[in-house]
Amino acid sequence: MNKSFLQKLKEFLKSWEMVLICILLAEFVVFGAANSKFLRPALLFNSMNDFMSICIISLFVTFVMITGGIDIQAGSIVGLTSIIIGVTWQDFGLNIWVAALLAVIVAALCGALSGFFVAYCGVQAMVVTLGGSFLYAGIALLVSNMASTASYQGISGFPDYFKILSKYKFFGVIPSQLIIFLILTVLAYILLHRTKYGRRIFLVGVNQKAAEYSGINSRLVIMSTYVLSAMSASVAGVVLTAYLGTAKSDLGSNFTLNIITAVVLGGTLSTGGKGNVVGTALASVVIGLLRFGLPLCFGVGTQYLDIPVGVLLLVVVVARSMGSHPTTANLIRKWKERGREA
Amino acid sequence: MKKLLKSREISSFLFLVALFLIVGIINPNFLTSSNIVACFNDSVVYIIVSVGMAFAIFIGEIDVSVGANLGFTATVVSCMLRDGQNWLLAFAVGIIIGALMGLFNGWGVAIMGVPSLIFTLGTNGVMRGMMYVYTGGAWVENLPAEFKKLYTNTLVGSISVNLTLTVLAVIAIHLLLKKTKRGRYFIAVGDNPAGAAMVGIPATQTKVAAYVICGVLAAISGIVFSSRIGFVTATSGSGYEMKAVAACVLGGISLSGGVGSVIGASIGAVIMASISRLLVFMELGSTYDNTITGILLITIVVADSLMQRNTAEKNRRQRLAARTLSGDKAKIGGGDHE
Repeated sequence: MNKSFLQKLKEFLKSWEMVLICILLAEFVVFGAANSKFLRPALLFNSMNDFMSICIISLFVTFVMITGGIDIQAGSIVGLTSIIIGVTWQDFGLNIWVAALLAVIVAALCGALSGFFVAYCGVQAMVVTLGGSFLYAGIALLVSNMASTASYQGISGFPDYFKILSKYKFFGVIPSQLIIFLILTVLAYILLHRTKYGRRIFLVGVNQKAAEYSGINSRLVIMSTYVLSAMSASVAGVVLTAYLGTAKSDLGSNFTLNIITAVVLGGTLSTGGKGNVVGTALASVVIGLLRFGLPLCFGVGTQYLDIPVGVLLLVVVVARSMGSHPTTANLIRKWKERGREA
Repeated sequence: MKKLLKSREISSFLFLVALFLIVGIINPNFLTSSNIVACFNDSVVYIIVSVGMAFAIFIGEIDVSVGANLGFTATVVSCMLRDGQNWLLAFAVGIIIGALMGLFNGWGVAIMGVPSLIFTLGTNGVMRGMMYVYTGGAWVENLPAEFKKLYTNTLVGSISVNLTLTVLAVIAIHLLLKKTKRGRYFIAVGDNPAGAAMVGIPATQTKVAAYVICGVLAAISGIVFSSRIGFVTATSGSGYEMKAVAACVLGGISLSGGVGSVIGASIGAVIMASISRLLVFMELGSTYDNTITGILLITIVVADSLMQRNTAEKNRRQRLAARTLSGDKAKIGGGDHE
């Protein structure tokens, strides 16, 4: 509470977020040096459009992982949202905004269903969301069959006032998706780190029984995190549909690895109880820039991008568990002691 | 006999029979012997992957990299066969790749202590990318006809050689798991890792071994896969990891580890593999495939977990009752403890 500004600064410099910022800067330096096109603001901001949906989802999957769960259904909810917007708008003649709202509500229900099974029936989160990813992708396919156009073509021809949601550029350069992401980051930050609800999420993640005994409805808290992550996935689905101008049922099907990598890289413990939104936001941008920079500057094909992301995930998790491994922990301690003696 | 009837495998087998009967009632054309044999013949790939996955789940972990492992092995082996390499060499290379991937996963999960889902998700991504690197995204086609014939060879009637070999292998693995000391380690480690380590079971080695077995079986299923399909694309094998998990759960293997058998996993695999064929006979089309899979998976795990909770509650009550009973006795006996 009464730490001086300097102490706070010192703490911040030692924190994981600082490391992420350094990685981010390193990315700018390396990619910028390899190809100066990377540093053009217009191109850089434009590239963000391609990965903003991953960033948005990662923010709220963090909530789920802090409670000790995991959410691998978010990707299929993106596709479900997209196709619901398309079909209800094109074939049922709904207003596009009503269609989008409907899609978000459906997604929230999907999240609530999975969350209910996890929280109230005590099934492992991984299996439920695995089943959910099948189920919601399947439903998306069924919905797409209701459309009058072939499903592989997707549904396009959305009105301009809907597309502008993701295509508008503030001051001519800053894309509206980035603004949406920033707003959601602030929202998630306040929700997780500044409200009672956020404290409850952490407490449930650290020790569910203790949380239950201190009067927290821990099951409701767990379920609500799945609703939030599903809603964020559907917001990402709306944004992505507006950006691409096409509604397809298989959008987002390859997001899972990126989302989990972003959350883990952001410093969230996969066993729960620890994590933060700023870290996730930074990590998701690190991954996004990696996916943008590697093809542009080093000519890596976009199909290969799962390799660097996967390697990144593996390196982070192995390094982190090495830190807590007895042998390495001993080594680090000895090294520190030697430093003190010298 | 009673024990056999109560076992989890029987309930999944009855589920399979019921599924076939229901579809048979809706569409009588389904219940021909050739159709049912075809259902089993076509599930060989799934059975092999699921048995491998069962090992990972026995020890209380999971391996979601089997799909990419399957695809990568299929790619490498198919390329070698297409280029006219020695078959045995090609198969050996495939199996070694699978074993190495399993070893890597085992290192990360058992030795480094990384949560298994996250670690194998990473290796899954890396291997899927490596498939693109290896082929440049092109299809591997023109496999030798004799290789493709391996899959269609039949033994008795229309029962394929592959199916027979697989069933024999599954029975052998089952016996090894239940009857040998080392086989029982897997279940013991999954049931109670700390306890297993305390009684002298090498828990870490067992976990690594489970991952290696899982990787090898995924590699073998990759070879069978390429002989069945006849070509390999860059997305071959994606989704198999999820279906294998679903098959294990359907077969009565508990995801918390320590419960279940490879026979259950195989029955679950037959159910998973038959779903799309069943849907065709119900005139629903394959668009329902994912939906049905999802509903099945969720229903089964929720039911399983509720049932487990019920038994746990019953056991707790029994323990409590026993304790109060002995407490009463102690009081009658004069209450020495006081």
